[in-house]
Amino acid sequence: MSRRNPVITGSGIICAAGCGVAAVWESVRANRSGLGPLTLFSSPRYGNHLVGQVRDNVDKLAGNVRGSRSDKLSWIAAREALAAAGLESGSGKINPARAGVMLGATVGGMLGTEKLLARLLRENKHRFGALRFHECAGAADLCARKIGALGSVATISTACSAGAMAILAAAELIEQGEADLMLAGAGDSLSRLTLNGFGSLLLLDPNGCRPFDAQRAGISLGEGAAMLIIEAEATALARGATILARLAGWGASCDAFHATAPRPDGSGALAAMQRALHCGQLQPGEIDFVWAHGTATPDNDAMETRALKQLFGGRPPPVASVKRFFGHTLAASGPIKAVLAAQSLRQQAVPGTPGFEFADAALGLQPVKEFRPQPLSRVLSNSFGFGGNNVALVFERADSRPTMSVPGHSSVIRTCGVNSPGSAAMAALLPPEQTRSKGFAVLGIGAVSAVGSSLAQIAAAFSNGRPATSPFPVPLISPAAQAQVYACGEFGADQFIEPAKRRKLSRLQQMALVAARNSLSFGPAAVAPEKVCVAIGTGLGSLNDTAAFVENMILKNERVPRPSLFVNSLHNSLASQIAIELGFSGLNSTPVQREISFETALWQAATELASGRADFALAGAADELNPHHLAAGMRWGWWRDSSPEIRPFAGALKNRERPPPGEGATVVALGRAQTSLSPLAYASAIRIGRSEQQNARAEARWIAQTLERDGIPVGSVDLLLTGANGLTESDDFYRSIAGGLSRLAGRTIACGAYKHACGEHHSASAFGFLTAAALVRGEIAPEHCTMDKTTSPPACRTVVLFAFSPTGTKGMCCVRA
Amino acid sequence: MESLIEELKAKIITGFNLEGVTAADINPDEPIFGTGLELDSIDALELVAILEQDYGIVILERSVADKAFASLRALAEFVVANRT
Repeated sequence: MSRRNPVITGSGIICAAGCGVAAVWESVRANRSGLGPLTLFSSPRYGNHLVGQVRDNVDKLAGNVRGSRSDKLSWIAAREALAAAGLESGSGKINPARAGVMLGATVGGMLGTEKLLARLLRENKHRFGALRFHECAGAADLCARKIGALGSVATISTACSAGAMAILAAAELIEQGEADLMLAGAGDSLSRLTLNGFGSLLLLDPNGCRPFDAQRAGISLGEGAAMLIIEAEATALARGATILARLAGWGASCDAFHATAPRPDGSGALAAMQRALHCGQLQPGEIDFVWAHGTATPDNDAMETRALKQLFGGRPPPVASVKRFFGHTLAASGPIKAVLAAQSLRQQAVPGTPGFEFADAALGLQPVKEFRPQPLSRVLSNSFGFGGNNVALVFERADSRPTMSVPGHSSVIRTCGVNSPGSAAMAALLPPEQTRSKGFAVLGIGAVSAVGSSLAQIAAAFSNGRPATSPFPVPLISPAAQAQVYACGEFGADQFIEPAKRRKLSRLQQMALVAARNSLSFGPAAVAPEKVCVAIGTGLGSLNDTAAFVENMILKNERVPRPSLFVNSLHNSLASQIAIELGFSGLNSTPVQREISFETALWQAATELASGRADFALAGAADELNPHHLAAGMRWGWWRDSSPEIRPFAGALKNRERPPPGEGATVVALGRAQTSLSPLAYASAIRIGRSEQQNARAEARWIAQTLERDGIPVGSVDLLLTGANGLTESDDFYRSIAGGLSRLAGRTIACGAYKHACGEHHSASAFGFLTAAALVRGEIAPEHCTMDKTTSPPACRTVVLFAFSPTGTKGMCCVRA
Repeated sequence: MESLIEELKAKIITGFNLEGVTAADINPDEPIFGTGLELDSIDALELVAILEQDYGIVILERSVADKAFASLRALAEFVVANRT
C-alpha cells in the first residue's frame, strides 16, 4: 500500500510582517510587529487604528495577474510555495490530474465591490466590472489555472478558520488518494466591510492587539496570504522533494452556540483539538508547543485558555499568539500559522507574543513573551471562526517518523480519514459492511425553491410545465427596470422558525434553515450531536444583508454600523446557524466554489460519513436574488425586462443574453447506506474536479471513471442531469457529454435539465440533486427533464448529476433508487 | 427620566421587532440583555447603533457598552449624561 501521509514540501507567505517565509520569520525572530497605519483606503471611523496592512506593492509583486487584492495576495504566496517545493511553473513536475487547490477565503473581492458601490451610490456611476472579481472562489480559480491543476479545486469560507479548514480538506483529499499534491491555504485583503464589521462588534483594539494580556481589548485587523504545498509522502519522496514538516493530525468541530461569541467553556475548541490528536493517534503530552488562535478579544482568549487547560490537564505546553506581528488576517490566519509552524519545527525555535505585557490572573496563562530556541517534535495550531467553526491542526518534524514505508508499522496508518467517498481503492482496508456498493443513504431532502418547498409541489411544477418566473424590481439602474426571475416567494419561515430567532436571521439563512428542517422530516433516530456534519455551500452568501451593511457604511460615512448585518454577511453563517438551531457539533463548513459549492459540500459531508467521524450529515447549498446583482446583469445585457423563461435544449437565448436568474436553498440529509430508516435514494460517486477547457469527451471519461471506481457500471446510467439552461453553447456541451457517455456505455444515456424549474444560480445543482432523487423515485417523469418525449427513457433508476462552472471547476454524484 | 425610559423601551421593541412584547414587559431595573427578552450580545451592539443614530452617542469600547446596558435605568442615565 502506498503511503498517503500528507507532508508539507513548500510554503509561501505575504503579510504585514513581510513578504516571503524568510522575511516573516526574521520579523518573528526579532519580535518585530508589522502593525501600522491604515493607508490602503480611508476610514473616517477607524482610520486611526493600527492595522496589519501589507506594505509591499501587491499589484507589482503579483505580476501579470488579474483579480482582486485577495486573489493577488494568494497568488504571491502560492508562487513562493511552488518555488520552494521545486515546482515552478514550466518545471513539468506537477501531474495536473493528480494536483488540486483547496483555499479558504472570507473577503474575496469585497474591497473592489465597496468602491463600485460607493461610486454607484455617491456619483450614480454604473461600473459593475469589479463584480467579476467579487467572489471568494477567485483565488482558487486563479491558482488552479496558473498551475494547471485538474484535480479537486474548491474554496471554503468558515470565517477565521477558513484557511485551516482548507488545509484539513486538502489533507483529506491526499489521504483518500484523490490527489498527490494540493496547494492549500488562504488569502484575505483588508476591506471596509471587515474593518467596520469588527468595529460594529466592538472587537477592535485601536492601539494594537494584546493577546492573553489582562488589558486585552480586541483584535487588530490584518491582511495577507499563506500557502502550503501538501503532498502524499510516497509521491513527494519519489520526486525527491524535501519534506519541511508533516501534517500529523487535523480536527474540526462546531460550537453550535452563537453567531459570534465562542462557547465560553471552550468545549467546542477542545473538541477540535481532541479530534486532531485522535486523528494523529497522539497524546496531549506529545505536543511541545501551541500556536494559539489568540485574537486578543476578551472572549476568545479566555475560552481558548480554558480549552487548553482542559486538554493538557491544567499544564499546557508553551503557548504563543503571533497576531500582533501581522494582525488578524481572517481566513489566512490558519495558513500563516501553518507556514510558521513548519518553519518553527525546522528552526527548533518558538515565537513570542508581542503585545502581551501583563498576565491576566483570571486566565492564569503566561504565554511565551519572546522568541527563543526550543526543541520541538510536534506543535498544535488553533483556528476558530465566527459561528463556532473550529479547526485544529498538528504539525510534526519531518524526521520524526520513518520516511520509508515499513511493513507492519502501524503508526503510518491513521484513523482520521479511513475511506474515500468516491474511491473504492481503499475498500480493502475496511470491514466488509463498509464497502460502498450503494454509497450513502439519502434520508431526507428539504428545499425552498421558485416552484415550492415540498417534493410534491416541485414534482407537480415539472409536470405542469408552466414557467415559474415572476418580475423583480431593479431600482439601481436608470430607468428602473424589472427582471424576470425565479424567486422563492413566501416559504413558510414563520412556521419553522420562532419569531425571536427569525428576526435576526437573513432571508437566505431562513431559506437554508427551513430547507434543513424539512430535510429532517423523516425523524432521525437519536443521533449524537457531535457526530452530525453540516456543510452548506453558497456562491454569494446573504447578498442582501451584505449589500445593506456596505450601503449603510457608504451613505452614513461609517456612522452607525450595523452589527447584525455584518454577522449575516459571513458566508458560514448559513451552516453555523443550522448547527446552532439544531445543536449539531460535528464538522461545519460553507464551501463557496461558484456553481460547485453544493458538490463541495456534498464531498465534505461524504468524507465525514465515510471516515466514521459523522453518523449523519446535512449537505446543501443556498443563494438569493439581489437587486445589485440583477442591475449589473441587466447593465451587461444579460437580462432584459422581458427575458424569456429558461427552456433547456430549445436554443431560445440570443447574443449576450443569459438565462434568467433564480434563487433557492436545498438541503440533503445523508446517512450510511446500512440504515434502519428507509432511504429516499442512494448517493455515490461524489467527486469534485477541474477542467482546463470545455471538452465533452474528456468529461464523459471523467464521469465514467468516477462511476467505475465506485463500482457503478456506466451502462446502468439512465440519465445525465445537467445545468443545461437554454444557452445553445451550454446545452450542446452537456448533450455532447451525454453522447460521449452513451458511447462508453454502449447504450443511449439521455441528457436532462432542471434549471427551467429553479432558475440560474450558484446553488441550482443542489436543486438538481433533489430533481435526481425525484426522478429515480418516479416522482418526476424523465421527459420533463429531457424536454423530449421521444428520446426519454421510460423510467430512471440511476441518474448522474453533473455540474460545471464557467471557471472549469466541476462536480458530480450518482443518485440511484 | 421615566419618559426617556419609555422612549428607550419603544426603541428596543421596534428596533428588534419584538413581536408580542409590550413596554410593560420590560423591567427598567433588570439587565437588558441575557434576560427574559431573549436579547443577546448582537442585540446589545444593535442598541449601540441605535444610540448613535438617535442620540449621537458613539461607543467604541465594549467595557463602556457593558456598563451602559446594566439596566434600562442605567442606560437612560447614560443617555442623559452623553447625548449630543
